[in-house]
Amino acid sequence: MENFSEQDSLRLITEMISKAKKSYITKGYASIMWGSIIVFCSLVTWAEIYFKFNAGDVWLLTIVAIIPQVYFGIKENKERGFTSYEGDTLSAVWLAFGISIFLLSYYFGTHKVDGDSQSVFMMLYAIPTFITGRVTKFKPMICGGIFCWVASFTSMFTNIQIDFFLMAGCGLFAWLIPGIMLYMRYKKSVQAHV
Amino acid sequence: MFKNLNPILHSQLRLAIVSLLISVKEAEFVFLKEKTNASAGNLSVQLNKLKEANYIEINKQFSNNYPQTLCRITQIGVAAFEEYVSALKSYTNN
Repeated sequence: MENFSEQDSLRLITEMISKAKKSYITKGYASIMWGSIIVFCSLVTWAEIYFKFNAGDVWLLTIVAIIPQVYFGIKENKERGFTSYEGDTLSAVWLAFGISIFLLSYYFGTHKVDGDSQSVFMMLYAIPTFITGRVTKFKPMICGGIFCWVASFTSMFTNIQIDFFLMAGCGLFAWLIPGIMLYMRYKKSVQAHV
Repeated sequence: MFKNLNPILHSQLRLAIVSLLISVKEAEFVFLKEKTNASAGNLSVQLNKLKEANYIEINKQFSNNYPQTLCRITQIGVAAFEEYVSALKSYTNN
């Protein structure tokens, strides 16, 4: 046996577990990208209604954005050098969210439904955001998820123009701001290792 | 009563490797090397010792034409680690 005390062992275990946890840092690119897209599409849609013009279907951007999302995801996983159980769980949650959003968009696009679809979308935005925040213990995303639920409830009583403002708020508070914070945290951790 | 410490785990580098692997699902050789600050040769030797004890699984594959070594802890490895930590507690509590 090596000359290595029990205290040293415990210290080493704690240090390694902490190192592994700290390595699970995301650059926040996906969050920034989706946040920007939702804010942009919501404000354009609001402007279309308010100023009465047609800018085409800006929401198609969300489909185009899947390509960089997949690219960033694969790149980040490769750079990280490991896969974690929590990362796998969150990937499954976001995949389920993506499929549900796609099906809902198709449903609202092809069926005549009474009431606004925005409330349902905002309620759905909250689910993966809140779960991600809880699992990664990242408070800005927990708050973002709660904001989406509050916005969803509020939008049940407001007109469509305000609904799109609330939706822009969801993109801002659930993804864009937390994404920027994640990016800053990543930058800080890179500088700390230089 | 002091429990005996598992000699396979009571080694600085092997314990560091197992502690890292217990926290993740799967890790690359490069990740383990970076986190443990070990040399590639020494890390390779210790990984093989852990593999011989069936504590870890090692998969070698190619990713973008580069060799990639992936390590993951086994159920036997998890049980051994838990037992080791419990034995450590018996020392620190006395």
